[in-house]
Amino acid sequence: MTPACDFASVVRLEGVQKYFGAVQALCDIDLSIGRNEIVGLIGDNGAGKSTLIKVMTGVLEPTSGRIFVREREIQPGEYSVRMAHDLSIETVYQDKSLAEKQPLWRNFFVGRQITNRFGFIDIKRQKEVAQKILIDVIGFRGVGITVDSTVANLSGGERQGIAIGRAMHYNADLIVLDEPTAALGVAEVRKVVEFVRRIKQSGRACIYIEHNLAHVHEVADRLVVLDRGRVVSEIAPKDMTVPELTEYLIALQHNA
Amino acid sequence: MRLANFLLAGVAAGGLAVAAAPASADPIGKGLVMYMQMGGNPGDGATLARQTGAKEAAEALGVDLKSQFSAWAPETMINQFKEAVAAKPNCVEIMGHPGSTAFHDLVKQAVDQGIVVTSGNSPLTDLQNEFGPKGFGYAGVDLYAGGALTAKAMLAQGLKAGDRAMVYGVFSQAERGQSEKGLAETLEKAGLKIDRLEISQEANSDMSLAVPILAAYIQAHPNLKAIGTQHGGATGEMQQVLEKAGKKPGDIVVGGIDLAPSTIDGLKSGAVSATLDQLLYLQGFFPVVQCVMTAKYKMPGLSLNTGAGTVTPKTIDALTKLIDAGIR
Amino acid sequence: MAQRSGASILQRFEALPIIVVFVLLLLLFMNRAPEVFLAPYIYTTFLSTLPPLILLAAGLTFVIGAGEIDLSFPSIIAFSGFIFAVLFKEYDLGWIAVIAGLASGVLVGFLNGVIIAKVGIPSFMTTLGTQFFWAGMATVLSGGKSYALRGADESSVWRWIVGRPFAGLTDIVWLQQLSIQALWTAIIVGFLWLILTRHRFGEHTLFIGDSNDVSRVVGIDVDREKIKIFTLMGFLAASAAIILTLENKNFFGNQGQGYLLTAIASVLIGGTSIFGGQATILGTVFGCFIIGMVEAGLVAAGLTGAWVRTVQGLIFLASIIFYMYADEPQRRRALIANLRSFGRFGGIRTSEEGGVRR
Repeated sequence: MTPACDFASVVRLEGVQKYFGAVQALCDIDLSIGRNEIVGLIGDNGAGKSTLIKVMTGVLEPTSGRIFVREREIQPGEYSVRMAHDLSIETVYQDKSLAEKQPLWRNFFVGRQITNRFGFIDIKRQKEVAQKILIDVIGFRGVGITVDSTVANLSGGERQGIAIGRAMHYNADLIVLDEPTAALGVAEVRKVVEFVRRIKQSGRACIYIEHNLAHVHEVADRLVVLDRGRVVSEIAPKDMTVPELTEYLIALQHNA
Repeated sequence: MRLANFLLAGVAAGGLAVAAAPASADPIGKGLVMYMQMGGNPGDGATLARQTGAKEAAEALGVDLKSQFSAWAPETMINQFKEAVAAKPNCVEIMGHPGSTAFHDLVKQAVDQGIVVTSGNSPLTDLQNEFGPKGFGYAGVDLYAGGALTAKAMLAQGLKAGDRAMVYGVFSQAERGQSEKGLAETLEKAGLKIDRLEISQEANSDMSLAVPILAAYIQAHPNLKAIGTQHGGATGEMQQVLEKAGKKPGDIVVGGIDLAPSTIDGLKSGAVSATLDQLLYLQGFFPVVQCVMTAKYKMPGLSLNTGAGTVTPKTIDALTKLIDAGIR
Repeated sequence: MAQRSGASILQRFEALPIIVVFVLLLLLFMNRAPEVFLAPYIYTTFLSTLPPLILLAAGLTFVIGAGEIDLSFPSIIAFSGFIFAVLFKEYDLGWIAVIAGLASGVLVGFLNGVIIAKVGIPSFMTTLGTQFFWAGMATVLSGGKSYALRGADESSVWRWIVGRPFAGLTDIVWLQQLSIQALWTAIIVGFLWLILTRHRFGEHTLFIGDSNDVSRVVGIDVDREKIKIFTLMGFLAASAAIILTLENKNFFGNQGQGYLLTAIASVLIGGTSIFGGQATILGTVFGCFIIGMVEAGLVAAGLTGAWVRTVQGLIFLASIIFYMYADEPQRRRALIANLRSFGRFGGIRTSEEGGVRR
């Protein structure tokens, strides 16, 4: 475990480049995420938001540049999703975080099951812990959902809640949310925004990729704008209203 | 009340029917149960006439006949034999495709339990020799001789020494392959140059798959003078094969076996020059008779050679009606 | 919001539907052909002929559960069967022949897995190709010939793998016929059931079948697990090949072809979903029982052979439709609502369960 108090940023990227073949997806990325802040990552389609996240969380390897987690450098070749989990970085994807046909108790633990020496899962224990997460961490009470329910039975907002709750249970210091409110109805969006607030309240950091400027404007401490693979500006929400933000982004698109 | 009246009427009618039935002699096979392996798929070329023959024999003799189909796969035939024996019938008929060695222990067990085992279509000579006294007979062609007969009919069409010929057959199966062996060797003795082509398992079950293969072979060998086979399905495809290869009937001497509907067309058009008539109907009829004769009268196994002769374009017309009825 | 139950009775008892169907079919056959199905001999026969099918279907349960398909296992039956038969008979290598046979199956399965996971060709195409390749290899090496394993039942290999353990010990005929491969198969399949339901590997298999993307995201090494799954299939197919070859005391040049569709059908009627993510070994085993039993039962009941395929097809379709309705509550509710509205003369009432949208 890392020492608790002596780092300013949870994750820091320095001079990161990412090429897919000849195409440059990320260019000169310098970005740091503080310990207890919500950073909104915005930008148009194809700006590189997803790629940035994947590099930050070990899914993709950067072509060059340095990655620091809690101010300790990580060798790009060694970095993996599992390592990110060990370093307390969790990602919640819009529709790829949970397996639809599997029950909740499996979804909570997959990838880090409670097993005996031979790899056999302690099902009873996992279900107990899952039950606790369900009630305490996520707060689902009496809605007809149990740890045996399959994810397919849950609404969109509830699924995000499960995924976020899972991340919080594993005491992630950084939770990355990839477009969590896409395709959700108004009431569901409310729930997700509430979950995001809870993340900050519990002392954690969060990166929040979002298309809908109004949602992210509401909760973010800092907005980072990405355009064609570069970080073009960092804005505090109190400095720009949503309409002004929209104009700014459109103007960016029109500039060469 | 209505229901009771109804029942009473029914009982009365039943009683009358029983009393009125004329006393009839029971057929001699009554009460016997027989399992028979038909080989291919229900209704296909080499199977239909045997099905018909077996059915008519069973009806005439009063035998309860149960037919099994195996798509010509030897391991399926073995499994089906085991299932048949487990049902403890009076008789079981098998075919030779899996070979005597594969069947030997299973047949011995069955015979020891008092089941009559007999064979047809493809011989199991070793088993015939060992279990003949217990009723193991054979109704089918002497495979080698049948192939030789077909070859002679082909030679009679004017083939000379030095001509090229191809034989398409199941050379890999020990006993069943004797047919094509007989055909090929007889042609070789007459001085022809022979190419042997093996029928794949897929083509064995579904002969239409062989058409492009054979057509391609013919086109690759412009000097080809004759094609011989002892596979019923393959014979049936020959007319189509010649057409696809751009040959006219008579350009190549074709010798085959059985009388599938398409083979009849082939004979009529002259595409097929001679086909061995193995009297498939008898291969179905006779084993049932063998069953009854051994089970009831303790007769030993009898051998019936059904490869009596060949059918040519000259002799086909007389047989057409019977062939359509699934008898010849 | 509508009431959502945690787990329906269908989910609680694994494979319940197919077990019910099996029992019903068995009772039907007992009724129609009592002289066969009320005696032990047909069952001891099944015990000796079903193990290869069950082993293949168990392996396929993992493959299909992972959202993939394997079409090459019939060629492993031929190839590994050949390797085993030739080493056993020509070179008298006994147990080494067994190990070589198993190793050849593992090799084929491993190569399948590598091509599918690392090169990235979809499993349907890969295994279609390897099916032809390895079947061809078997024919080339064997010259298309069959091998008779005469005297095999003298060897310890035969006695241990497919022997009749009670043969000399009892006078009861059906006990004498009990074959030991049924026991080995039961042990292997029981172990596989434990793995699928309770082991990490089984869970990974289901997640991969559910979604490759989600699996990667939660940290499963999808490539490595797929390779393991196909290697397992290769091992099980080779085991089936050896049992089959020993039981028949014969290697048939083209053995295995007949298992392709029957094995896959057994898995699907047992309740494993072709889409992946949902698999049951118990269902597969009963699926095998049904597929294996139907033909013998119909023949014994007096139905001509032509009907067998038709009945098998009906069973298959009925199972698939049943599973679809069981797994998708909206369709089930819609169907019930439709049936209810037919049953009401003139009254139009929506069902209480009305459409719940997410």
